[in-house]
Amino acid sequence: MKINFTLNGQWTEVEAPADTPLLTLLRDFLGLTGTKMGCGIGECGACSVLLDGRLVNSCLVLAAQADGRSVVTIEGVCQPDGSPSDLQQAFIQYGAVQCGFCTPGMVLAGEALLANNPQPSRYEIREAIAGNLCRCTGYQQIVDAIEVTAKNRQEGKSHA
Amino acid sequence: MPDYAFVGKPADRVDALEKVLGTAKYVADYSLPDMLVARTFRSALPHARIKRIDASAALKIPGVLAVITSEDFIDHGRFGYPLADMFMLAYDRVRYVGDGIASIAAENETALQLAMDTLIVELEELPAVFNMQEALSPKAPVIGETPNDAVEMPRGNLLTQYIVRKGDAQDELAQCPVILDEEYTTMHQEHAYLEPEGVFAVPWPEKTGVTVYASCQSPFLNRANMVKTLGLSEDNVRVIQPPVGGAFGGKDDTMYQLSAQAAKLALVTGRPVKMVLPREESMIASYKRDAMQMHLQIGADTNGRLRASRIHATVDSGGYSSITPFTAWRSSIHAMGPYRYDACTVDTDVVYTNNGYSGAFRGFGNAEVCFAIEEAMDELALRLKRDPIDLRLQNCLRPGDTTAHGQKLGDDVALAECLEQVRRLSNWDVLYPEYLKQNSHPSHPGEIRKGMGVAAVFHGISLGAEGADFAVGTLEINPDYSITLTSGLTDYGTGSRTAFTLIAAEVLGVNPGRIVMPRPDTDNSQDSGPTVASRATVLGGNATRVTAEQLANLLNEAAADLLGCTPESLIRDGELFVSPREEPVSFENVVDHARRIGLTLTSRGRWSAPEIRWSMEKGQGKPYFAYHYGAQVAEVTVDTGTGKVEVTRFWAVHNTGKVIFPQGAYGQLYGGITQGLGYALMERVDFDNGYLQATNFDEYLIPTALDVPDITGAFVEKPFSPGPFGAKNLGETGLVPAAPAILNAITNATGRRIRSLPANLERVLIGKDLRKEGSSTACKLGLK
Repeated sequence: MKINFTLNGQWTEVEAPADTPLLTLLRDFLGLTGTKMGCGIGECGACSVLLDGRLVNSCLVLAAQADGRSVVTIEGVCQPDGSPSDLQQAFIQYGAVQCGFCTPGMVLAGEALLANNPQPSRYEIREAIAGNLCRCTGYQQIVDAIEVTAKNRQEGKSHA
Repeated sequence: MPDYAFVGKPADRVDALEKVLGTAKYVADYSLPDMLVARTFRSALPHARIKRIDASAALKIPGVLAVITSEDFIDHGRFGYPLADMFMLAYDRVRYVGDGIASIAAENETALQLAMDTLIVELEELPAVFNMQEALSPKAPVIGETPNDAVEMPRGNLLTQYIVRKGDAQDELAQCPVILDEEYTTMHQEHAYLEPEGVFAVPWPEKTGVTVYASCQSPFLNRANMVKTLGLSEDNVRVIQPPVGGAFGGKDDTMYQLSAQAAKLALVTGRPVKMVLPREESMIASYKRDAMQMHLQIGADTNGRLRASRIHATVDSGGYSSITPFTAWRSSIHAMGPYRYDACTVDTDVVYTNNGYSGAFRGFGNAEVCFAIEEAMDELALRLKRDPIDLRLQNCLRPGDTTAHGQKLGDDVALAECLEQVRRLSNWDVLYPEYLKQNSHPSHPGEIRKGMGVAAVFHGISLGAEGADFAVGTLEINPDYSITLTSGLTDYGTGSRTAFTLIAAEVLGVNPGRIVMPRPDTDNSQDSGPTVASRATVLGGNATRVTAEQLANLLNEAAADLLGCTPESLIRDGELFVSPREEPVSFENVVDHARRIGLTLTSRGRWSAPEIRWSMEKGQGKPYFAYHYGAQVAEVTVDTGTGKVEVTRFWAVHNTGKVIFPQGAYGQLYGGITQGLGYALMERVDFDNGYLQATNFDEYLIPTALDVPDITGAFVEKPFSPGPFGAKNLGETGLVPAAPAILNAITNATGRRIRSLPANLERVLIGKDLRKEGSSTACKLGLK
């Protein structure tokens, strides 16, 4: 079947079997391999993407469900010139990255949180990323990175 | 301690940018137009003889190109270290559920699945054994090899034994007024790296060789195993390590099998072959942390002075030996904990069963025995009515002490400092007695109680008596004045590439941004042994240091020649070389001049660990050249109505020597503690008649962000002279004492002791397991 959707801001048309998961569509049909497959059953969050701004496990979403909607993957988070966003830069600066396999999903979980709650507490940050497993970091530096990005964005707004 | 320009200063991880952008290519992300996909057909029985494999029907399926078995490898693909008892695909018998039997390559997933369903494999079920005591009975079926096909003969299911001996512990115990005599049990643990195993093999023209991109820890060992089993020379097998999505000790043997299978399929078909395991197959097929049963007898004087420890441990190796003999050896060395005794005996038996198989896992035997000895120390403190930190301080190893192995320690030992600092940070002297007093009465239903617990750790640096201990680095200044650094020790998320970069920059006096570290590749870097045993910082760091010192020496000579002064009289100002006349020249100018006068601006350096000696027969010697020390305190709340334990605060102080890359060091510490928290409370690998019960993250639970508190970490940077810039190891040590610290805190809260891991709801609430009927269903589905 034909699926039309906005992918990282670009109108995209792709032909795929009706039972294709969104994760497979992104990785195998569109070559966007930043979205990772960790468990295939929606438990680990490595395949997290934003569907109309909501954080979803793309392994559990059928590609057809994205029809007419907007999908943002890790490839769509950076700045237009390809440099990292403020949140991505904070991940680097605060040591939120080790093996990196959970990182794309974590960045999207952070973005989804900050879009809805610009001033989250550390506990709220932990809640927001609780669906994204990380086996390396113990989460602390990820929480630091999201927390400092929230603060910087608030300050940026108040200065503007 | 001297101040450095880059070592110990804030730095970004060298591979962080590509990882946050999502552009880092893991094995699963590779694709080529003519690529085949492959899968392994695995045993659904725990112990069976392979009677017949018939691939003829499977091979007739359109799109199915090759089926291989153990017959397709030299010596049936036999490999393994220290005991070669394993095969690239099972030969003659399967010894655990998930043992690979055949490997299939096809043009697409549909054909591959059809071939999996069509392949005929006839197995004759053999009696199996799942209990270590039963395995040691003379009547038990022998799981290891029988004398006919054994390379080195184990005795029945007793794979090997290790001892430590200091005096006569039995005699000494008889004279002790206070004796603690208890048994402790740990379970298998799953590594749960977020990236499942993956390999991508690309054959060379005319099938003369193969390039293998493997999500493995040690590319050189992987190559050696392929060279041996594929019958190719070292020049015809190239192993490249792409970014690895976590390993924790778990990407050795399983990855060697998958690499050899994919390489063979690529060589047979002449086409690139990709194998990526689904999570279920990864969990069923891969090795686990071993399970251990430990019997501890600890004798002390009434004043708390430790006199004797007598320890007997049994280790479940599962169906194959893998690295478990060395895991067990490390556990035997650490079983008595970092304490002084007049007498000490340790006896460790390693046993074959049909419970999957065990192998390397962060902590490597020490997590298991540390749990036992640190709970025992806590029990002893309660019995003696002593503060648990005081009791440890009274008995802990200090500079110049002699260990139970007969090793005289150096001045790097800083366990007492770690204990004292964690005591201050955690406000232990106020909180621990307060919780103890509050909890002295039986709980009323549903009462929420707080508790605090401590545990100490020592951990031998690098391989010890496990093997040749060296590392090699290379450096080269490129035409664009960038500098290429290689190391045979790899970075699977640990941050070692960044640490090596900072060390090279510090020695060379150049900005770290000049230094490029390509992905580890057997063609561009030098064999440095395995990347295991927390050895990267000390071994690889020192190799980088000596390599950089050679190159720095060349540059100094060239600069001195250019400036007309002596090398000794040069001063460095950032990247500038400055003569005594205060005349500066740039790094680029020095490099240009060096080339003009004909110098070759490359270097290669090797660093070997200080000598160790260990007598397996006497159980004495110097098993490791030095040790890391640390102490951790956990605070928990326990819901006495449900058994739910929450870790509310956590403090960890570790004697790391000089910290090279602070952001990475804290990351290792927090991450290790979090895995230890999982080991303590929730991670449970259950085998039911050999069948794994939890095959994905819906049932095998690992800590989420809500299960871990913010951790307060600190490092005691007492210099360690053999380490690069005074650094010690760190990678495994955060994990090791976390579980006993948490379980001791639970006891502090509830007044009850749990001596088996994990401390799940029913063990905390009612003190025993609720019987749950096991099933083979999840396992069988996962192998389909």
